[in-house]
Amino acid sequence: MRKRSPLRRAVIYGGAILLALFWFAPFVLVVVGSVLPEVNLLSYPPTWFADPPNLQTYQYIFTGKIPESFEQRGALRSMISNEVRDVPRAIFNSIVVATAVMLINVLLGSLAAYAYARIRFPGRAASFNFVLMSRLIPTVAIAVPYYLIVQRFGGINSYWALIAIYSVLTLPFTTLVLTLYFRGLPVEIDEAARVEGASSWRILRDIAIPLALPSIIGAGLFAFMLAYSEFLFALFITTTSDRRTLPVILGALSANTDVTWNMLMASITVGTIPTLILAIPVWRFMVRGLTSGAVRG
Amino acid sequence: MGRDGKTARRRDGKTSRESEVVGRASSSLSPHHPMTPSPLRLEGALMAAPVLLLVAIFTIYPVGRAIYQSLRIESPIFPARFVGLKNYQDVIGGLFFKEAAITTLWFAAITVPILVVIGVLTALLLNESFVGNALLRVGMLLPWALPATVAALIWKWIFLDSWGALNAGLYATGLIDNYIPWLTTPSLARMAVIVVFIWTQLPLVAIFLLAALQAIPNELYDAAAIDGAGVAGRFWNVTFPGIRPMLVIVTLYETLMAFTNFDIVYALTQGGPGTATTMVTYFTWVESFKKLDFGKGSALAVLIAIASLALILVLVRAIPKGALVEERT
Repeated sequence: MRKRSPLRRAVIYGGAILLALFWFAPFVLVVVGSVLPEVNLLSYPPTWFADPPNLQTYQYIFTGKIPESFEQRGALRSMISNEVRDVPRAIFNSIVVATAVMLINVLLGSLAAYAYARIRFPGRAASFNFVLMSRLIPTVAIAVPYYLIVQRFGGINSYWALIAIYSVLTLPFTTLVLTLYFRGLPVEIDEAARVEGASSWRILRDIAIPLALPSIIGAGLFAFMLAYSEFLFALFITTTSDRRTLPVILGALSANTDVTWNMLMASITVGTIPTLILAIPVWRFMVRGLTSGAVRG
Repeated sequence: MGRDGKTARRRDGKTSRESEVVGRASSSLSPHHPMTPSPLRLEGALMAAPVLLLVAIFTIYPVGRAIYQSLRIESPIFPARFVGLKNYQDVIGGLFFKEAAITTLWFAAITVPILVVIGVLTALLLNESFVGNALLRVGMLLPWALPATVAALIWKWIFLDSWGALNAGLYATGLIDNYIPWLTTPSLARMAVIVVFIWTQLPLVAIFLLAALQAIPNELYDAAAIDGAGVAGRFWNVTFPGIRPMLVIVTLYETLMAFTNFDIVYALTQGGPGTATTMVTYFTWVESFKKLDFGKGSALAVLIAIASLALILVLVRAIPKGALVEERT
């Protein structure tokens, strides 16, 4: 690479710093807000750092021990948003639902993708296009009918209703990605196996899936992430806190104008950790999928 | 960069690599493709059946049901009955729908161009080598990966009128003497929704454009440099034609996202102040689930679906032939 001029370097680093600030400063502010006493956050003029930071908000979320600053009478308020106690349960609910969606995607997605990539069967092109096009319908357009279906089958406030809906929303993308991947595998292996008398199921199980495993896991994690984050359907399908998912609990907190802000910050921090853990593998999957596809062309 | 430049670019853009890709993608699902084994096998249909059935059940019935109930009065309060197109007339004739539709169009018209321009700049930046590049690339996925409601909450804490971080920071540094009511001033609240939307969507736009950038062969840049092209010349003659297919996809996708944006409005402004940030999806939600008027809600939903599909068709038509093929790679 050619040597860069000082101006070019300045532009690059200036841009990088701006981007980093835009993307990361909000997270820093949230973490900072979560460890400060709420009295300090609400003060005017601002005196955020008048008292030392502490981890009592986190302690309250997980153990229910009320932070000292809320126990003084005459403090700015004696109310506390006890809904944040639902956050650990909500994370659990989100993970249960998202894991099931991931497994369904991995299983059904690779089956369908292999068929679309390698097997000729009647209605193949039409059904492939139908599956992909189904995602062009805005979710809000089908929200009410979904609600009525779920209600009819007694699925209100159940895991399975969420799992079914999220599977439908994520499977088209998983199928597309894995179809593209399977199509990229050398076809000679398939043909050799067929000559040996292996069935399509056998080839899929013993050859295609092991070869495509990283992509399958990547696509599965991607589906996990979308299911973990979904809000609109979870909002009206879950009705009690033992079934509500994380986006719904946090959404409810945000709608509460009298929410305890440092508690909310701590909830956000806790709720972000699963996403943070998944971000790196999912990112690798996306970038590899995008670039390797282009390179192969 | 006038019209002449555009045609020149298109001619330049047709490299041998691109036409190869066109050939590959157009035959991707055709039965005569050499990669596809020729005999028809029923087990293929069996393998595809679970996905197909699941998607079909949750697509055909709900769409039919949405259209059906958009023609009826359906609510827990009134007896259900057929009313023809009355719901549509009420919705379209109503003042709030027009407002919401204008707000939505306006939102998409502002955010999508900003996203695309900043996205290109970000991708160009990430394509350079600098200290912290890897950190930025991985970290930037987080705003996108977060649930949109959480993203909106994070920013709510920044924009809050009476004790938000932005006001506190501006006050502490002496830039303002009075707190600015970001979320209760209509124009500022709209700006806040735009900022949060860009924050959550920019990573995806940048990452897709970065992938397209990295697929451009270095030789093209070398050739342009030999021809004496400057920074701008290299961008318009090499970079732009190379990322154009991806730009089209990203623009389409983000337009749809802007049209159907719901979570951010719900968590950040609840459509307010007043109706300043009420877009059609939020409006639909209010009609359906707050007012429990499923008939009107469905009519709205059908209108949104028609508008989105029309939009997709118009945009796809507007794309020069061949610009989309790299999507399949």
